Amino acid sequence: MDALLIDASLLQQMLIGALLGISVYLPLRCGQLSLATPGFYAIGGTLAALLSTRVDALGGAEPVYPLSSVLLEMLLAAALAGGLAVGIGRVVLRLRGVYLAIATIALVEILRVTTLNQESLGGAVGIFGIPQPFLDPQGYALFTLIALALVCWLCDRLERQRLGRAMEAIRDDELAAACQGIDTDRTKLVAFVLSAVVAAITGVISAHFLNSWNARLGNFDASITTLAFVVFGGSRTWAGPVIGGLTLTALPELLRPIGDLRLIVFGLVILVGPLLLPQGLITPERLRLIRGLLHRGAKP
Amino acid sequence: MQDLTQLLLNGLSTGAVYALFALGYTLVFSVLGVINFAHGAVFTLGAYFTYFLIGGAAGANGLLAGLQLPFALPFWLALPLAGLGAAAVALLIERTAFAPLRQRNADPLLALITSLGAGVVLVNLIQLLVGAESYAIPTGALAGLPAAVRIGGAQVRSVQLLLLLVAAVLLTLLTLWIDGTRSGKGLRAVSEDPTTARLLGIPSDRMIQIAFGLSGFLAGIAGGLVGLSVSIAGPYFGIGYGLKGLGVLVLGGLGSVPGAVLGGLIIGLAEACVPADLSGYRDVVAYGFLFVVLLVRPQGLLGRVLPSKV
Amino acid sequence: MSSGTASAAAAPLLETRNLGVRFGGLQALEGVDLAVQAGEIFGLLGPNGAGKTTLFNLISGVTPAGSGAVLWRGGAIHGLDPNRIARLGIARTFQNLRLFQSLSCRDNVLVGLHRQARLPWPDALLGTPRARRHHHHLQEQAQGLLELLEIGPLGDQPAAGLSYGDRRRLEIARALANAPQLLLLDEPAAGMNPTEKEELRHLIRRLRDRFDLTVLIIEHHVPLMLGLCDRLAVLNFGRRIALGTPDAVRNDPAVIEAYLGGQA
Repeated sequence: MDALLIDASLLQQMLIGALLGISVYLPLRCGQLSLATPGFYAIGGTLAALLSTRVDALGGAEPVYPLSSVLLEMLLAAALAGGLAVGIGRVVLRLRGVYLAIATIALVEILRVTTLNQESLGGAVGIFGIPQPFLDPQGYALFTLIALALVCWLCDRLERQRLGRAMEAIRDDELAAACQGIDTDRTKLVAFVLSAVVAAITGVISAHFLNSWNARLGNFDASITTLAFVVFGGSRTWAGPVIGGLTLTALPELLRPIGDLRLIVFGLVILVGPLLLPQGLITPERLRLIRGLLHRGAKP
Repeated sequence: MQDLTQLLLNGLSTGAVYALFALGYTLVFSVLGVINFAHGAVFTLGAYFTYFLIGGAAGANGLLAGLQLPFALPFWLALPLAGLGAAAVALLIERTAFAPLRQRNADPLLALITSLGAGVVLVNLIQLLVGAESYAIPTGALAGLPAAVRIGGAQVRSVQLLLLLVAAVLLTLLTLWIDGTRSGKGLRAVSEDPTTARLLGIPSDRMIQIAFGLSGFLAGIAGGLVGLSVSIAGPYFGIGYGLKGLGVLVLGGLGSVPGAVLGGLIIGLAEACVPADLSGYRDVVAYGFLFVVLLVRPQGLLGRVLPSKV
Repeated sequence: MSSGTASAAAAPLLETRNLGVRFGGLQALEGVDLAVQAGEIFGLLGPNGAGKTTLFNLISGVTPAGSGAVLWRGGAIHGLDPNRIARLGIARTFQNLRLFQSLSCRDNVLVGLHRQARLPWPDALLGTPRARRHHHHLQEQAQGLLELLEIGPLGDQPAAGLSYGDRRRLEIARALANAPQLLLLDEPAAGMNPTEKEELRHLIRRLRDRFDLTVLIIEHHVPLMLGLCDRLAVLNFGRRIALGTPDAVRNDPAVIEAYLGGQA
């Protein structure tokens, strides 16, 4: 039973990793290297921590925190992050390539330092005793799995639609995409906002699961780790960041037997991954190939 | 008056470190057009190298627990040697994280990731070898210098003056080198137009290595100086400088050497001006600057607008 | 200098008035007046660096105009974003080919169909029968365009792997997918062999008739242009030095001196 509990916790972290991977993937699908995901993740987490510990009406005093309150927090976090992303995106998405990456790093750092210095947002200590909607990690894992499945399904629909194709076109050649009548600014903004919403919702789940929240959870390290998910898994289809998020979150845990070496191995994976697989592990072509093989296997 | 002198010197010495640091980014950016995210780790290494070269002993946590070099060098000798060590590491990073991507003609943005990977490896290697504890470089290392001197009525730590002096000397040498030597001019040619430079017979691979070597040397020196000034806070202590260095870099203009110096001094002074009761927000200054500059003048204060070709 | 038939017809489909632009110290285009009538195939000739592609960039909004005006059906369009101009019905190809390299040929054309691919989002999300019909219809349209350009069997291939001539064809298919009224072709015959060039000439005429197009074409191959275009303008050093029917341009002394030289 003990082993099972640990596994469910790890699974939960892996699922969170997959969701954050998708958040980084969405702008990257249209060629925008935004590292703002941890910032919006922190916004979601801080909002959930504040609401659930300070607003009694949500049911923080009850033995089991109502699921409806968690869903409400997710809705509010999505609205807040989405609204902010519209404003920020309009400004930062004018920047390209490495400039956008640096601007979003700065954004994440500004948010972090501000949270750190605002006692009302938890300050340096953080917010503790966030009420629990589930009494065991299995409950969390199931809930997060449903959320991830929903997000994946939405991404899958998106990729088959004109918006998804427009995103890919912008990534390949922004100017040529504009010449096909694609409103490139708007498409990039939509991707940025979706990314923020996914990150904020993930922050809400994470805050409850972790039971406490502090500013360090949305820092530069998180920017890098989540980016690694996408680069490792692949940024051309949603399956890439999901696989990347699941495996790279699990990797340090799986490497626990080698002790202190594990973070070095993790670094090596990030270093060598792009050299061996410049497109990432999962590409649409490889997915098609796998699907083809499965079909052939199904009807011998 | 006394406060003002103090403030100015604080700002300038911090700014000088930022400038040295951002110069490393800029040198690499000017030849490759990418940012070396392992730069912060090289800075950290410079600090540790200095510590060990002046005879410091490793702490109890780490594989090298208790290790001490059989000799102890004076600081003025240890610092340049630490710089050379850092330069060697920077060259190694170039070989492992940058060169393979170049050979494969891969998306240059991938270098962000691979260099980060190299940084993660280095930082954790340090932690594995010498533990996560902080190390203080004894100020006694500056044998013969008084701990502080009086300037215009203000008490100024000699370390700060040393920092300023070394930074000024290095910056001058670098400028002279770029403007006055063959390899310096070659570096500038490669940064302005790699294809033409290659046609003219300037070996861009060698220029790239020179840029990495110099960038590592500057970062190593900066690390050693900061280690002496405020102690080494653990393997991660370069990351904060690394992020702020990005702010300096953008403020001055990516790829601009005088821009990096100007940017460093501006941010150093601006941070020194943050009043004590708001000191928690000091770190925001650099990022705030960065953000505003990116939006108003993305090419930075002294950067050039690159023409785009349709 | 011949003024051709421009003055006789009603408001031209596309007009440039005193159009000019500077790049640094270089006056890339200066005082260019053109009027393209609906339905004609209008050629732009001129030596390298004469400003032909620059003119395309100004018309399609890729480069902002420095001075003068671009009029579409009498209304000013200079200063609009490229995507707005594309949506007005002006499609273009690029001299140095700008395909979506990582997409398949079919997806390249599907991106070109962007404007027509709009679907209410509940349908798109839920994959309703209506969405499936819509999807099917788009796929058929894309395949139809690929076949029209004789690259039908290549639909699933990545655009990056195509031969040079096929890439040119794919770019035309993608531009046609925009359902344009005006098609700007920038050196569509570059890299093609003589047989392919001859086929291209027939193809462009066929496309014009079938889609009711107006075509503005840049091409270096003079015989092809003389045989294809209804009217031609010749640019040199950013200025229009001649305008008229192929016969008029062929015999224009300014053109002979500046461009055709011994070739004609």
